[in-house]
Amino acid sequence: MSPYVTTILTLSLFIGTCLTIFSEHWFTAWMGLEINTLAIIPTTPKNPRATEAATKYFLTQSTASMVMMFAIIYNAWSTNQWTLMQLSDNWASIAMTLALAIKLGLAPFHFWVPEVTQGIPLLTGMILLTWQKLAPTAILFQIAPHLNMKILIMLAILSTLVGGWGGLNQTHLRKILAYSSIAHMGWMIIIVQINPTLTILSLTIYIMATLTMFLTLNLSNVTKIKSLGGLWNKSATTTIIILLTLLSLGGLPPLTGFMPKWLILQELINNNNIMTATLMALSALLNLFFYMRLIYASSLTMFPSTNNSKMQWYDNPTQITMLIPTTTVISSLLLPLTPLFITLS
Amino acid sequence: METMLIFVLSLMLIFGFVAFASKPSPVYGGLSLVVSGGLGCAIIVSLNSTFLGLIVFLIYLGGMLVVFGYTAAMATEEYPESWVDNMVAFSMLLLSLLMEMVWLMVSGEVEVVMAVELFDSLGNYCVGQDWNGVSLLYGCGGWAMVLLGWILFITILVVLEVIRGL
Repeated sequence: MSPYVTTILTLSLFIGTCLTIFSEHWFTAWMGLEINTLAIIPTTPKNPRATEAATKYFLTQSTASMVMMFAIIYNAWSTNQWTLMQLSDNWASIAMTLALAIKLGLAPFHFWVPEVTQGIPLLTGMILLTWQKLAPTAILFQIAPHLNMKILIMLAILSTLVGGWGGLNQTHLRKILAYSSIAHMGWMIIIVQINPTLTILSLTIYIMATLTMFLTLNLSNVTKIKSLGGLWNKSATTTIIILLTLLSLGGLPPLTGFMPKWLILQELINNNNIMTATLMALSALLNLFFYMRLIYASSLTMFPSTNNSKMQWYDNPTQITMLIPTTTVISSLLLPLTPLFITLS
Repeated sequence: METMLIFVLSLMLIFGFVAFASKPSPVYGGLSLVVSGGLGCAIIVSLNSTFLGLIVFLIYLGGMLVVFGYTAAMATEEYPESWVDNMVAFSMLLLSLLMEMVWLMVSGEVEVVMAVELFDSLGNYCVGQDWNGVSLLYGCGGWAMVLLGWILFITILVVLEVIRGL
């Protein structure tokens, strides 16, 4: 794609999210989400799998926007105002929750996430799973007092279970990251009514870790577990980064990924949702299992290979690795700063 | 009398929506869109928003639907599928008509709210509120106009980029 088109589409992506985040009228929020959907469609290549993935993405996001518009207009009809933070009508808030669940890829509306993420290149999938989550989460954060806790719990527990169990049988890395996204969105949405700041915190740390994963996988363009087996030879530091980031995504202390899970479980228990907290913690173990499988394939074992030499004799990276050290440090070393994140809220 | 008119028009509007949602050939879908657009315009005009009704006819039917009609005519096949060709489409039409009749008989009183007020909530005199909104879009809402222009631009850019090389 020509650089002019890429610039315009990237700018529009940025404009869309900013419009949704900064809006107080429902129309502008809806407009921002539509701009986001539209701007990411032509970034997919032209092969049949990517075309199918783009079509599925567009159709699901459009359906979600339609349900959202129903909710907006119903709320405007029954409460006579268009303020974003006052979604006071009951039916409208339920419809809006379901619309945002479709947009974020929460179970039971999660079916598009693995197929869309698998069909598009690694960097486009990265934008899809990180940047496109910002705008709907911002809307959820703002309408949090009016949400229905039963629906949130149902969405969250289903998402973590589906994200955990669905990722167990996958060998393609993009699908694994898609199921990881589903599970983490479940963690984010359970706490949005109790303490919405933890949703933003969880989203931030998830975005940092996922950015690290996608950028690191993009360095050698690995997309399957089989290709992960040859990574030790190409660049051994990549395997260390993958190890740290995946353990952080799994939520193990002393890495950063433990912080949102810990705080979310604490808030849930403080509100007497002990069963919910137990179920969420147990289903995070499923996620950890297939992360461990990736770590096993990349750094803990050496797959049989035809290469006689131990390491590559030159170390001349041809890819730009600018962001990876920053995001790796953020996604693995930030746990001691937990009080800072709590007080910043 | 007017509430009856709006009620009948909205029933016919829903039937028009079903007629293109049952997916006949795009030519017949366009025909159903014209009918639905005209009925929607009639509903809006009978609620005293004459400007918006004119916009529907001029821009929607006379601009966008004409372009759609030309492209559908260029890509049409020899025997376009109408509503009676496909059993699914035909039964969809019949069942939706049946469901509307049943709903008409079973539901209680239907209320059409027609609140035409010449004064808004702050006590300001405002006549012709749809004209008012458009003038605001050119005035203090100028940023929205620029944004809308940008969105239209990236829409056509996205469409052309998607079909590049095809």
